Amino acid sequence: MATFEFLLQGLLAAAQPLNLLYALIGVTLGTAVGVLPGIGPALTVALLLPVTYRLDPTGSLIMFAGIYYGGMYGGSTTSILLNTPGESSSIVTALEGNKMARAGRGGPALATAAIGSFVAGLIATLLLAFIAPYIVKLALVFGPREYFALMVLAFVTVSSAFGDSTLRGLTSLFIGLAFSVVGIDQLTGQNRLSFGIPDLLDGIEVTTMAVAMFAIGETLFIAAQGDKGPDKVEAVRGSIWMSAQDWARSWKAWLRGTLIGFPIGAMPAGGAEIGTFLSYATEKRLTRYPEEFGNGAIEGVAGPEAANNASAAGTLVPLLTLGLPTTATAAIMLAGFQQYGLQPGPLLFATNPQLVWGLIASLLIANLMLLVLNLPLVGLWVKLLTIPKPWLYAGILLFATLGTIGANPSVFELGMLLTFGLLGYVMRVFGYPIAPVVVGLILGPLAEQQLRRSLAISQGDVTTLVQSPIAAVLLVLAALALIVPLILRARGRGEVLSQMAASED
Amino acid sequence: MSRDNNKTSTEQRRPDRAALAIAAALAAIAAVIFLDVSRLREMAGYSQVGPATVPNWIAFALIGLAIWTVVEAFRGDFPEREKQQFGPVVWIVAGLAAQMLLLTTAGFSIATGILFALTAAGFGKRKLWMTIPVGIVLCLVIWLIFAGLLQLSLPAGPLEHLFL
Amino acid sequence: MKHFFLASILAGALALPAYAADYTIMAPAAPGGGWDQTARSLQTALQQEKISGNVQVMNVPGAGGTIGIAQFASQQKGKPNALMVGGYVMVGAILTNKSPVTLKDVTPIARLTGEYEAIVVPASSDIKTIGDLVAKLKANPGAVSWGGGSAGGTDHILVGLLAKAAGVDPTKINYIAFSGGGEALAAILGSQVTAGVSSYGEFESQVKAGTLRLLALSADKKIEGVDAPTLKESGFDVVLQNWRMVAAAPGLSAEQKKAIQGDVEKLVKSKTWQETLKTKGWADTYLSGEAFDAQLAKDISATEAVLKDIGLVK
Repeated sequence: MATFEFLLQGLLAAAQPLNLLYALIGVTLGTAVGVLPGIGPALTVALLLPVTYRLDPTGSLIMFAGIYYGGMYGGSTTSILLNTPGESSSIVTALEGNKMARAGRGGPALATAAIGSFVAGLIATLLLAFIAPYIVKLALVFGPREYFALMVLAFVTVSSAFGDSTLRGLTSLFIGLAFSVVGIDQLTGQNRLSFGIPDLLDGIEVTTMAVAMFAIGETLFIAAQGDKGPDKVEAVRGSIWMSAQDWARSWKAWLRGTLIGFPIGAMPAGGAEIGTFLSYATEKRLTRYPEEFGNGAIEGVAGPEAANNASAAGTLVPLLTLGLPTTATAAIMLAGFQQYGLQPGPLLFATNPQLVWGLIASLLIANLMLLVLNLPLVGLWVKLLTIPKPWLYAGILLFATLGTIGANPSVFELGMLLTFGLLGYVMRVFGYPIAPVVVGLILGPLAEQQLRRSLAISQGDVTTLVQSPIAAVLLVLAALALIVPLILRARGRGEVLSQMAASED
Repeated sequence: MSRDNNKTSTEQRRPDRAALAIAAALAAIAAVIFLDVSRLREMAGYSQVGPATVPNWIAFALIGLAIWTVVEAFRGDFPEREKQQFGPVVWIVAGLAAQMLLLTTAGFSIATGILFALTAAGFGKRKLWMTIPVGIVLCLVIWLIFAGLLQLSLPAGPLEHLFL
Repeated sequence: MKHFFLASILAGALALPAYAADYTIMAPAAPGGGWDQTARSLQTALQQEKISGNVQVMNVPGAGGTIGIAQFASQQKGKPNALMVGGYVMVGAILTNKSPVTLKDVTPIARLTGEYEAIVVPASSDIKTIGDLVAKLKANPGAVSWGGGSAGGTDHILVGLLAKAAGVDPTKINYIAFSGGGEALAAILGSQVTAGVSSYGEFESQVKAGTLRLLALSADKKIEGVDAPTLKESGFDVVLQNWRMVAAAPGLSAEQKKAIQGDVEKLVKSKTWQETLKTKGWADTYLSGEAFDAQLAKDISATEAVLKDIGLVK
């Protein structure tokens, strides 16, 4: 079988000592930059891509794969330790991960994130290698109406991240939705809620909102508690490694996260964060420890992290098989591939097998390097929490603003950072959950645009929304997800459900 | 946070003023949305859901949530709030504001160094004569790494120009 | 790691000689996009060809470049070492966003590269020629859904121009805007829309693989190696090039402008730049001086007219 041969060849080439070193450098650089709040994998790859140009094709491909994986993993570290998710796909990780870190279980949280990312990356890369052509056919069946149905399902399921009060959860969500309509309406080119301010025409940047609400809001909130809290968080309680129970609870979540994340990443308009939302909701429904959700449940870190990495490998499916860059990261990767003489497209696997398999082998090696680099570092990362508060939070704000300035050096953007930071603080004071605001900001425009696209294509026929079997199934699932808990609650078992979610802080 | 809200609701008769203010804010956002999208042209597209439709739905929902919040305010269903100290918040906000205002003129290092020092001050380290220089040097090192080596466009000021 | 960084920075700082014109290039877009890539390629070429010593790239993203151009016009006024990358997309964005700062407020220097737009249908479609598609459009404009980039962008403008040339009311076109080329392409491949519009480069590999059928190109004459007629040949008087350019600051003297034009000309003819064009797959459509000014003016007035016809600009 030729595929195996190519893959083996690629692995052999990638496993040369010098190439392993390149992979390690790539992973290190990627993690170092990706750790900054507001600088996600896309920007990390864009910034570091030129570094790889100086190497030979194999070496540069490997370093590039390392940067890509490192950039992705860097975001989860800060989410878990500092509750400052820098990009939309690690928001869910912060929900449970930071609770774990606060309880002295930052070690297991980081470990399950790293190993989960590795497992998901491994499985997803193999899936990419062997079933990409089939997956992509499935992904193309998804049109606007199917995406709309998927977004409805996502809306319903993320309500599980809403916290203990339906009113406050919904309020947060609708505040996010209100912010999501700011800017040029993509379908008619008219500007909405931008009040003549040019900086608002592109809408509110999700990363700015996330960094402000989480990093700055959190800092202000902690500061306002004065000296009541302890000066340091207890960094380690119990073992720094995962216990047998942690393993037992994590592995299924990793696999489920991979299975959810990969196909969603492969869909041209799926988006990495949707997979993490769905994974979190799934874990919360299936867990045997519902009381721990909201207080640091390890499944809530393991699942979404796996989903995030699997969906990143999923985005490579349309990119390599069709040449479709479906995310910002993928678009930058496409530019990178061209530098290596790769022209992604339907003929790529046939015309350029060495390079494709070389890339896949590089991804596998980089994935392994990520684990090699990060597991020993867990102990060191956790020590971050022992930095005295003034320096820790001064550092958080330094890096949070650095990320924002790096992405867009504008005074207006910093003003938004401050405004939303204050909003995040006030919401924390009154017990409003933070995550739904960002969720609304992400899902709102997706759902609206897909709905309007499907109606425009059908020339206004509303029944189009349920005429496709996939869309109909997804909508039924969403309806079930909405109705079943209501019935359960009515039958007096709602207590568990309402306790499952705790407030942000 | 507080699952025993229901107990306090019978004791607390007076409406929660902060909750009423939140309700008013939600209604105000809704009003702004209604007002702004009313000027949009419903372009003759083929979808009956136009550019103003979804914002209007959101605004209606916000009004509904505002009413619900008022009801909870009168029933005293809002959770107890911890006492907040505003001093530290002012320090940090001042730091962020200073960074914002100084960024383009003084450059990344000075602006962000001041943010660093004022944030530390918010957490009790008030020796600004020491923390400001430390912050500026730290930020300069970071600037050298990210702007110098990684080509991130971080604004340069007088300090950075010494290295350009 | 930190020491390694610092050492390289210091080594780099010491090794840089001083040049007369240390250009600063603004990319009015986020890192990674087309304009950013153009700016960074310019940076590399200018430095490698020793036309300029130390070239900085500055990103000012937002609103189709209108935020960048506004900042460029006000902050760089009269500076002979400030450059900005821009493109045809800006022409449309300035109009739809009602930007107070326009291309008249900067000094356009030269067009560097450009791409033509292509109209495609899925291979399984029963539409075989551009004539078939237009016939369908004439019969029922709403039934032909066009997938492309954002509303008011180059793709939308092309559909508007074609409808007008074919005698169909441009306000009646059923244009479905997608975010980003990838999403639009997926919708076209999946037969979610009737036809697709984008720059030819986005479709090239699909067309070669036979999954998309190329109906026409918006070039002024037939492109070698591309098996499709131009719109002009097919009887529709539509020519549209999605170009990228470099502009200088406003308020320059004639000599200063000439010096920059000289530098850019040197750059365009250089080996480094020609190699960059090849690896990136960009076509060399260099045009400068009065010829470029005339072309620009023509593009602006045509774009304004069609955006009014579609109903995006009043």
